[in-house]
Amino acid sequence: MGRSALTPSRGASLTRGPRPAALAIPAISVLAATLLSVLPVISKHGWWPDAGLLMLLGWRLLRADAWPAWVAAPLGLFHDVMTAAPIGLSVALWPAFMLALDVIDRRTMWRDYWVEWMLAAVFIGLFVVAQWQVAAWDGAAVRFASVAPSILVGIVCFPIAAFVVARLDRWRMGR
Amino acid sequence: MVASGARPGWSRRAQYGLFFGFVATVAAIVIGLFMLVLSLAAPQSYAAVRGVALDVTAPATNALNEVATTATGLVSGAGDYWNAAGQNAELKAQRAALLRRMVEAKAILLENQELKRALALRERDRRTVATGRVVGSSFTSPRRFAILSVGKRDGVAVGMPVRAADGLIGRVIDAGQLASRVLLVSDRANIVPARLVRGGLPVIATGRGDGSIDVRPLEVGRNPFRKNDIIVTSGTGGLYPPLWPIARIVRLDDDGAIAVPLADPGQVSFALVEPPFEPTAIAEAARPEEPR
Repeated sequence: MGRSALTPSRGASLTRGPRPAALAIPAISVLAATLLSVLPVISKHGWWPDAGLLMLLGWRLLRADAWPAWVAAPLGLFHDVMTAAPIGLSVALWPAFMLALDVIDRRTMWRDYWVEWMLAAVFIGLFVVAQWQVAAWDGAAVRFASVAPSILVGIVCFPIAAFVVARLDRWRMGR
Repeated sequence: MVASGARPGWSRRAQYGLFFGFVATVAAIVIGLFMLVLSLAAPQSYAAVRGVALDVTAPATNALNEVATTATGLVSGAGDYWNAAGQNAELKAQRAALLRRMVEAKAILLENQELKRALALRERDRRTVATGRVVGSSFTSPRRFAILSVGKRDGVAVGMPVRAADGLIGRVIDAGQLASRVLLVSDRANIVPARLVRGGLPVIATGRGDGSIDVRPLEVGRNPFRKNDIIVTSGTGGLYPPLWPIARIVRLDDDGAIAVPLADPGQVSFALVEPPFEPTAIAEAARPEEPR
């Protein structure tokens, strides 16, 4: 025994701790998910899930302290520039979602898997509707029925994002 | 899970931190709304940012597209060996039929040239500006954009029409040095003056945002469309050159029809960027109305 107990070894619970840059990992993972928009996908409908938004909601629902609420604004700017959305849409909406979730955090008595999924569903829906309305103001007024499926796709894909976020969180905390 | 916010305790520092965080977030929302209004009112103010974003992502998109093309090529290549003899016979029959049609078409072309000469119709020499690939698209939004692997370096400029061998794809709306963004014909905001090949009736083609196109006749009256009709550009407006194939009618509705584009951006191998048909006409139309 003796000094050997002090040498760091893999799996020793005393020496395990957060990874370097553990505080930045949530934001970086949202940026990385947003970058999925460079994938060579040529879609006819645009019904693919918005990976950046799903990761953002996944982190915020898992942890209230993933980032200060205003950080969502620069993340949103990156999202708008990369996905060719009207610049300003996510810059305004994402911090607004963070504030709304702060309020919801105070009001809810308990939280579980289904409540989080439902909250994520509401915000995914809000984002798609806002995107649709802004596109209409921009001269591209499509029928709502042609964007509704993308809400469903986003809701169905949210658990995948939540799973990735949970694993990333455990990894960054060194657990 | 700790609910953020409620009471940070007696620490003044923590209380102020929370408050300023809230102020910063509200400020960010206001700035975001301002940017949104600006991008709706004056989209060209972000042209530089969009161009840089296209350039930064272009190498990754191009490389990934190569990989995807190779992978699908392997699959479909293997599929072609299946029933090769049957396919061969079918293709030979098709080729013979096409050869006959081609001879007819050549004769018509010759006749057409002679007629045009007789009428002294002058057409400017048209050259393709650049040839690129469709390497990506906006796959999470109701807008229909595609990314093209050529940019300003190759001579592409905003407003140029883009076509494939099969037909019209759209027009360039953002141009970076290495890549550009194309507004597809299936986008709701893309309105193309067109003509019905059968009869030459003028129609308007508008995207529906889901890969199909809405076609309406300019004159109200009896529905002139039939299933499998082809519509082509009319050249009106001066942006798209005339007689580029656009779409094939698949379904009729009350006073128009639904069509699908002949050039599927997901399938075409090459896209050609061409100069605008009548640049002077576009400049004329873009000029703000002067009070008389």
